[in-house]
Amino acid sequence: MKESCFQSSIWFRLVRVKVRAVEEAKPLVLIVDDNPTNIDLLVNTLKNDYRLSVAKNGPKALDYAERYLPDLILLDIMMPGMNGYEACTRLKTTVQTKDIPVIFITAMSETEHKTRGFEVGAVDYITKPFHAAEVKARVRTHLSLKKARNHEIYIASKIQKTLLLGQPPRDIDRIKVAQLTIPSQQVDGDFYDFFKVSDKCFDLVVGDVMGKGIPAALLGAAIKSHFLRVLNELIRLTDKEKFPEPEKIVSSVHSGMIGHLNDLETFVTLCYARFDLVKYLLTYVDCGHMRTIHFQDSLNTFSLLQGDNMPIGFPGQGTFSQISVPFGPGDLFVFYSDGLTEIKNRNGNLYGEKRLVDFVNRNARIEPEKIIRNVWEDIIAFSKSDTFDDDITCVIVKIEKECSGRALSYESELEINSDLKELKKVRTFVREFCENLSESLIDNNRINLIELAVTEVTSNIIKHAYNKRSDNRIQINAKASNEKIVLLFYDWGKEFDSKSVPPPVFDGTQEGGFGLYIIAHTVNEVDYSRDDKGENCTCLKFNLTGGY
Amino acid sequence: MELDTEKIGDITVVKVLTDVLDASNTEEFKADIATIFEKSKKVLFEMNQVKFIDSSGCGVLLYCLRQLNSLGGTLKLYGLQESVRTLFDLVRMHRIIEVFNTKEEAIKSF
Repeated sequence: MKESCFQSSIWFRLVRVKVRAVEEAKPLVLIVDDNPTNIDLLVNTLKNDYRLSVAKNGPKALDYAERYLPDLILLDIMMPGMNGYEACTRLKTTVQTKDIPVIFITAMSETEHKTRGFEVGAVDYITKPFHAAEVKARVRTHLSLKKARNHEIYIASKIQKTLLLGQPPRDIDRIKVAQLTIPSQQVDGDFYDFFKVSDKCFDLVVGDVMGKGIPAALLGAAIKSHFLRVLNELIRLTDKEKFPEPEKIVSSVHSGMIGHLNDLETFVTLCYARFDLVKYLLTYVDCGHMRTIHFQDSLNTFSLLQGDNMPIGFPGQGTFSQISVPFGPGDLFVFYSDGLTEIKNRNGNLYGEKRLVDFVNRNARIEPEKIIRNVWEDIIAFSKSDTFDDDITCVIVKIEKECSGRALSYESELEINSDLKELKKVRTFVREFCENLSESLIDNNRINLIELAVTEVTSNIIKHAYNKRSDNRIQINAKASNEKIVLLFYDWGKEFDSKSVPPPVFDGTQEGGFGLYIIAHTVNEVDYSRDDKGENCTCLKFNLTGGY
Repeated sequence: MELDTEKIGDITVVKVLTDVLDASNTEEFKADIATIFEKSKKVLFEMNQVKFIDSSGCGVLLYCLRQLNSLGGTLKLYGLQESVRTLFDLVRMHRIIEVFNTKEEAIKSF
């Protein structure tokens, strides 16, 4: 990693500054002991440096641990009822508490007891009678270790979000892209990016670095940025009218990176694909990546796209070759990393390519966003878990069918302040816009639902993207044809992550959380995107034919 | 926000005199309703005037219900407009808050 890239180390530093700002409160230590004298002793030893919480038995300890998520737990072994071993076992099998370091406190210094403690997941033990200095030192050590682990995970996921995953072009007609990314505890360098060639052509690169953790993530980021550099150089060198061929791009990236990759004894599998919507042709360079699934709508069948190039970073490979396949309207391409097909269930069986292909075939005719959601549900159903050992990436590109050739025929726009008082203005704008359409296309009930959706989207932008600041702007564009209404909301606030929002609860115990649910159930499609200038776009589509 | 109240036995009928209950005025609504809850535990909201409610509006109604429940009372509604009813169906509010067509039915049910 040392000499690989200077640029990445700058990023690393930037990310670190942010981490410091996030963690400032004193760590919380949970003391679990049934003996008041011991509790007093421990409290006195630790109270100056930490926030403390005390539980006097096992069940209380589990309850506090889940509720307050302490940074570390000091756990007595000999307690009436549930003993320390049992409490620890339970902590380690609960998702929320499994990563909290546990230090056993024990009067029993025999090896057997210590071993048992480590077996159930403890990180250390302290023997009674204890010395204040020892307790302090052990607690401090394990908190630092935990902090270091958290830093690593935070940095890795930050790298993934900011450096490894690109945004699809959103202004290429008839192309719909949806992505699934599930970071593992240790990010492992899956990456993808999009490059716009023209209004009717774009490139997609999906790759996977061999290796794990921050080194792999940084290398992924370096390769991704190397693609941009190579593209710029090649465009400068060649005829301006002609974009470099994929095989030329991949060859250049290979020759630029092979030195670094060999030094680091690693390699990268990838697929670089160009979608040309004039010729209806996909041209791809496959370098040992997972086989891309191509679902062909007109034939109702699929093929698996594979090339014969070696991965990037394998010595001896001078040139790379590309393959072209035609596609048609309604076709679907699924690119993914091995993290997806190598998910294991409890019996150790792999999810596998076949299950994925079958699944895509059955779902190929629905919207890509929904396919992605269904894939996600299917892998969770398969593995009975929602955390995975490897990063999972899946990018779906769908070629939309032509909507009987009619362009969007009617447009209007509105700009408002980011003030909740403006919600009414947004509803009036949308109602008037809809009432201009033919009555046969839209009824009052439907307009009510559209009003509801735009209220939710606008107040989300004001409340979350702009953090309730009322001096920002939101721009709303409305377009309609005989087939659909499209409403676009532009803002320049914080990026919105729809996956971070928990699902709503319908039993009356929660007042919030309905907004996204309402949006999802009143529109036919919703899409959130952000361009590299920091402009967010929320796109709502309402179909006017075929019901809703 | 305008809220007219009428006392029928131990029930307080609150006329919600706003045409909109959305993120722009739910805080105001919350503040204004608090004084009413101090005096009465059985509350009926008359919703005839309200043409539009969003998720924040639903949130504030659930807040009212919880407040009253914790005081040993309850909240019921009547007179929902069609557009409000559509939202109630969507987020299943009718399963949590009792809703009536007429004032008489509602009063009788307390």
